[in-house]
Amino acid sequence: MDEQKNQQIAQQVERWDVFARLMPTVFLVITTILIVFGLIDFETAFYVGLLGFAITAVVWWWWAIFTIKYLVITLNRASKNLGEVNREVKIVITELEALKNES
Amino acid sequence: MNLKQYTILKAATNVISGFSMVTLICLGVAYLSFKNAFVFQDIKIEITNNPITQEKDIEFAMIGSKKFECNSTEVYGVAYAEDGSHSHMLDAFTKQYIRNTRPGEEVPNSWSMEVPADIRHGGRYRVSMTGEFICNYLIFTQHKSQTFDNILLIVEPRNK
Repeated sequence: MDEQKNQQIAQQVERWDVFARLMPTVFLVITTILIVFGLIDFETAFYVGLLGFAITAVVWWWWAIFTIKYLVITLNRASKNLGEVNREVKIVITELEALKNES
Repeated sequence: MNLKQYTILKAATNVISGFSMVTLICLGVAYLSFKNAFVFQDIKIEITNNPITQEKDIEFAMIGSKKFECNSTEVYGVAYAEDGSHSHMLDAFTKQYIRNTRPGEEVPNSWSMEVPADIRHGGRYRVSMTGEFICNYLIFTQHKSQTFDNILLIVEPRNK
């Protein structure tokens, strides 16, 4: 389950990366063509860009919050498990030392 | 595609994306600044021949500076009686104004307008002059409107 979720997050990060690299250029080229051919004016392009920027910011913000929450939970669980392993190793060492002393 | 090509492609798209973003932000900020700017700054309009005597026209003088290239498409005034009872449209020019003054420096402008025929009894008025403009800045074109209020107009009673 964790492995699947981790893979999902890695894929989402990759998608955000591609989106961030392509979207500004794609938007700039498309709006320039539309403005040059007189299909839209600069004001329309400006408000569409502003809307796209706002939607991206909100979606990214919530995605980041949920992803960070998931990472913190995973980190806590890993830390807790490591603590348990540490405790068990200490018990084993104590028992081994006891056995050694007996012999 | 091998790893080296992939790395180069990724770096190139990062750079192009960065430049695109900077271009979009600069254009957006320039557009907002242009859209919200007034046509005239440090503007002053007054009537220079108060009170308006018989057969005289209303002479306006204006001084102000423009930040952008703006061409006026329509200019008109409304004279409001000081007691608020009535108003008159001023739209008949007897002497034209300069349509496209230079941007960036204070250029004096003047024009004359006919006293409306229905101001027979004369009186004190407050004039609002409104200008409609088409302004250009970089790649932007914008319709703008600016009004200058509260210009004192005193008209003496007319004979006809």
